[in-house]
Amino acid sequence: MTPAWILDIFAAIMLVVAALSAARLVAARPWQPGAVVTDTDISHLLMGIAMAGMLAAGLTTLPNDVWAAIFGVLMVWFGYRVVRDYRASGARALAVGHCAPHLVHSAAMLYMFLAITAPAAGGGAGMGGMGGASGMSTLHVPTLAFVFALILIGYTIWDLDQLSGLRFGVAAAVAGATSPALVGASAGAVAGSGAVGAPADSPAGYGGAGYGAGAGRSGSTPILDSLGIVVGCRIAMGVTMALMLIIMI
Amino acid sequence: MSDVAVAGGRTAMRGRLGGAPVAARPALDARRALQLVLAAIWLLDAVLQYQGFMFSKGFNQMLAGTASGNPAAVAKPITWDATLIDHHMVLLNSIFATIQLLLGLGIAFRPTLRIALAASIPWALGVWWFGEGLGGVLSGAASPLNGAPGAVIIYALLAVLLWPADREVPAPFTAARAVGAHVARALWAVLWLSLAYFALTPANRAPQGVNGMIAGMESGEPVWLQDLQKGMASLVANQGLATSVVLAVALVLIAAGVYLPAGIAKATLVLAIVVAAFIWVFAEALGGILAGGATDVNSGPLLALLALAYWPLRAIPAAVPAASATPVASEEEA
Repeated sequence: MTPAWILDIFAAIMLVVAALSAARLVAARPWQPGAVVTDTDISHLLMGIAMAGMLAAGLTTLPNDVWAAIFGVLMVWFGYRVVRDYRASGARALAVGHCAPHLVHSAAMLYMFLAITAPAAGGGAGMGGMGGASGMSTLHVPTLAFVFALILIGYTIWDLDQLSGLRFGVAAAVAGATSPALVGASAGAVAGSGAVGAPADSPAGYGGAGYGAGAGRSGSTPILDSLGIVVGCRIAMGVTMALMLIIMI
Repeated sequence: MSDVAVAGGRTAMRGRLGGAPVAARPALDARRALQLVLAAIWLLDAVLQYQGFMFSKGFNQMLAGTASGNPAAVAKPITWDATLIDHHMVLLNSIFATIQLLLGLGIAFRPTLRIALAASIPWALGVWWFGEGLGGVLSGAASPLNGAPGAVIIYALLAVLLWPADREVPAPFTAARAVGAHVARALWAVLWLSLAYFALTPANRAPQGVNGMIAGMESGEPVWLQDLQKGMASLVANQGLATSVVLAVALVLIAAGVYLPAGIAKATLVLAIVVAAFIWVFAEALGGILAGGATDVNSGPLLALLALAYWPLRAIPAAVPAASATPVASEEEA
């Protein structure tokens, strides 16, 4: 069985991701008119809490069925977004947009909560941690777990390449806040409240958020909005989720 | 990134950076695409290494078992290593898994590409010896169907061939860019000819040799995979010699393919990918991952990745859909 302290480390990372997402949500001041909060922050916050609970028994929060319902809703939401992006931008939206990876994340979480078989004495509200004292949880239909893990790893590697490419590349130095395209897009996005947004034609999530202070989010901070934080959270989540899927096969 | 816009009590979702500068997106050429696949395989290996089995006596016994049949000079360090791991199981396996995690992430992260690729070579060679018993090459147990000449040695080979340097410009295929076409072709030929040789060793051409190897991988696999393997095992039952000869002929054709004109070379590379897929599904049972306890993906995916690295460059966009149609050099090569 994977040692509990290793699972605890990954649980701690997930709590950090959840905390950062919560901070971004708060920084957006959703109680103010015209405020902007992101669906990915909501998604990361929920996933961080749920995964931490799966990894460490002491952090279990909600019953599995409730989590399954939550991630079912998220999956439907991101599925809708993916279809919409696909209609607007074609298959490219699936490769460079942020909705497809979040759809996979949501689907993987839903699968885990539906397919998990708790250790003999680990029933109850949550799964009592993957490596509970009574043994390791496993997943039904392990082939699906493997497929999800492969896709998650693929997106993680892609995210890391794109993130480092932007930072390492020449373009990163000049694509900051002074970019008319970026500023314009941000302003347009804020103005576009009430409408389901612009198509994910650009590599959303790589577009330069955070290179300029408060890139389009009222009340947010450059650090919280930085590309490293946003995509880094997704990378951490992808690695941890792939790990969970594989060790529960 | 899409947002929820809260305005006047109403909440709606919308895209935030729809007009973000596309030009800022980093370029992706064929070599970078292959490097990313290699990174993904290292990352998968890392998460496999975190499995519970790796922290049990079973992992230690698996390592010790690779010493069997090897010369004493090879076997004794393996036994010593297995004993050491037995005494410090959790600590050492955690380090192993973390090293592989860093290798995978390091290759994907452009600024650390060279360091990670360079580090992966000695690491892979070490695992080849201490973890795979040199792939059974010296023990007589090697077979192209069981991962010979050792899956992990192919990681090292790929690290060399995908090194971000250009020795030969323009190169006829990606693998030639770092080491030159002559060296790359020679490495390819040595690998696939060695596989052909292993396919014809007495143990592998025995009447039930191939059958036994496939049947031995069924345990613990999902039903659908077991059914596939049972079907294949029955097909080759008592046909060890014929199967080995057919396999060896295919492997020799593949080995020679990179020396032939581009059209024929492509056909042999497709054959290489088909053979790699056949080996991975039927003989290696997807690396045994679905049965739990696998330490890596085994040789099938790596052989296929290697074949893509030898695909004639002008056809790369068709062969590697992830690659950009515009062959722009990646930042790490600048």
